[in-house]
Amino acid sequence: MPGQPYMQTPLGPPPGADPQLWQWFNSVDEDRSGSITVIELQAALVNGNWTRFDLDTVKMLMSIFDTDRSGTINFTEFAGLWKYISDWQNVFRHFDRDRSGSIEGRELAEALRSFGYNLSPQLLNLIESKYSSEPVSGYGPPPGITFDRFVRACVAVKTLTEAFQRIDTDRDGWIQVSYEQFMQTVLSAP
Amino acid sequence: MSFGSYGGGYGGPPGPPPPGGGYGGPPGGGYGGPPGGGYGGAAAPTSYAGGFSAAGANRGPPPGADPQLWSWFTAVDTDRSNAITAPELERALINGDWTPFDLDTVKLLMTLFDTDRSGTIGFTEFSGLWKYIKDWQNVFKHFDRDRSGSIDGGELRDALAQFGYNLSPPLLELVQRKYDPKATQATGRYAPPAGISFDRFVRACVVVKQLSEAFGRLDTDRDGWIQINYDQFMNTVLSLP
Repeated sequence: MPGQPYMQTPLGPPPGADPQLWQWFNSVDEDRSGSITVIELQAALVNGNWTRFDLDTVKMLMSIFDTDRSGTINFTEFAGLWKYISDWQNVFRHFDRDRSGSIEGRELAEALRSFGYNLSPQLLNLIESKYSSEPVSGYGPPPGITFDRFVRACVAVKTLTEAFQRIDTDRDGWIQVSYEQFMQTVLSAP
Repeated sequence: MSFGSYGGGYGGPPGPPPPGGGYGGPPGGGYGGPPGGGYGGAAAPTSYAGGFSAAGANRGPPPGADPQLWSWFTAVDTDRSNAITAPELERALINGDWTPFDLDTVKLLMTLFDTDRSGTIGFTEFSGLWKYIKDWQNVFKHFDRDRSGSIDGGELRDALAQFGYNLSPPLLELVQRKYDPKATQATGRYAPPAGISFDRFVRACVVVKQLSEAFGRLDTDRDGWIQINYDQFMNTVLSLP
């Protein structure tokens, strides 16, 4: 079949590219189009327990790193994405004190506190149950938060807190918002 | 009812949608219209089919139970524990395009129907869950006018308007991009977004409803503006599915 041998020959890395990173990029870019789609990225990313990343986490990563707004991730953008994930892996390992592979309530509280968010116990409970991998029932051990949902939880808290602070110009902890602005703010968070 | 500047306002339907009838006058006789060939089962039934001839062999349904519903329950309850866990439910539910439901949708369903807060779904709870999904399937089919199996921008606008939420075009665009499985902020420039799958459509409607209701509760003077502090704000957002 004409074209097929060409398709299977990896393109050479751009000059100066890290060969290891280039190899990873190509293994994610299954159709060898030179750019990674949401679907390709989701197929490539798994948590420590082999569960897939949520679509919403994948979309969040795409929107952070698709800096040229093409809807896909090219090699240059991929380098940023790769580093971001590696950095978060280190954060995750650091706060997963009991090495369970997931983040439980106390670990979450500590992580968020170290990022500068002093949330009330009630909010911390809400975050834990929203991002845990199963409903929190009160029976048995808490299910814990997997890697991808931990990243999303932290980014959501950051995005929402910053959005609130931008509106709270007098810094009194209260904002006045219209329906439109309220919805816009909330729906823009990952 | 109307709440000033945001038009149709909050307080309208979604949530468990009313069975039949509720959504204004659907042209052409309502939800029951022929589903066309398109739906491989917008949510559950087809996926339940596998393996339930073996399941249930040891157990009879509770007295008075719908036998069909019982066999679906036992098919989902793969470990025969008489209670459905989140992972069991997640494996059983698929969209019309065979993609799995998001964990967040599965957790939403568990939260709505696990009324005894056991962390699992018993048979009684399952019948509520089953009906809820079926009702939403009908809503989905009704608004998926072009029978594409997904909800595009215009269909989403119609659905939310029908529920009483007249969102501005920028908000609609935001909801569309947030819940479209493949859209990122930019894909629209090159290709139209693929449309919202069944499970994400349900979640989108529940989110818009919950947010609008939360706003409505705070907007006591009905002027379309609220005062909200950081804790309340975070609480509202983090309670969303």
